[in-house]
Amino acid sequence: MTRIAARQATRAWFLLVLFTALSMIVWHVGARGLVGSGIVLAATVLKGRWMLMDFLKLRHAPSGWQIALSSWLILVAVSAWSATAINLLRG
Amino acid sequence: MDTARENRTWGALSDLPGHPMMWVLILTETVTFGLLFAIFAITGVVHSDVFSAGRAQLDPVLGGVNTLVLITSGWLAALAVEARVIGRRTIARLLLAGAAALGCVFTAIKVVEYATKVSVGIGLETDTFFTLYFLATGFHLLHVILGVIIIAAVAMYDSLDNLKTGTAFWHMVDLVWVVMYPLIYLVG
Repeated sequence: MTRIAARQATRAWFLLVLFTALSMIVWHVGARGLVGSGIVLAATVLKGRWMLMDFLKLRHAPSGWQIALSSWLILVAVSAWSATAINLLRG
Repeated sequence: MDTARENRTWGALSDLPGHPMMWVLILTETVTFGLLFAIFAITGVVHSDVFSAGRAQLDPVLGGVNTLVLITSGWLAALAVEARVIGRRTIARLLLAGAAALGCVFTAIKVVEYATKVSVGIGLETDTFFTLYFLATGFHLLHVILGVIIIAAVAMYDSLDNLKTGTAFWHMVDLVWVVMYPLIYLVG
């Protein structure tokens, strides 16, 4: 259990580093529109979920907690993406 | 009251790792930062030009480096709990020291970032974007400093329950920054 948990935390850390680098690359190549923002925000939701599951150890908590905190992540990401979309539609 | 019933006095919060009172704080902070992010998104729509200009003056590389610093710190804190579970107290304390040290690195980078802004005349009252930028990142920075103190405290009083409770707060601080970084620096 402990060795597995440590391995899951290390895997989560690797993925967090990878997806942070991906977000920075997407910004660096100038992808600022709906697609670029969508990629960055999707990466943020995934990163947040790995942190909840493997750092905060919610993997073994009741599904209600997992759903509630994952919903918070999705809600924040959708709000930010909607704001970008509204700004683009207004030109 | 038997042990099983006593352990359930916090209701659903009893199912979460660490002390339930810490989770009351974590959930309160999650809602608070969530509202702050919503205000940031809405104001970004109302003042889109101000936000675009303000965002262009930020350094996403510095923010990205700080993200890497904080997620590595969170990883060390998670490993510290696992080391404590199998009774490796010294290793757990070293891992916590590493986590706290990276928290200090995050703080130092943030101070450099603020100093750079101030040196070119940017402050809390420059415009709406920078008011929200300083409020959101400054409020988070206070949590980082408090988190470093909590990590140091649980390294000294290192029961497994204390470690789970202290690192839960640290992971919340970590999570908030991981969400805040793209919203402020990258997207929009």
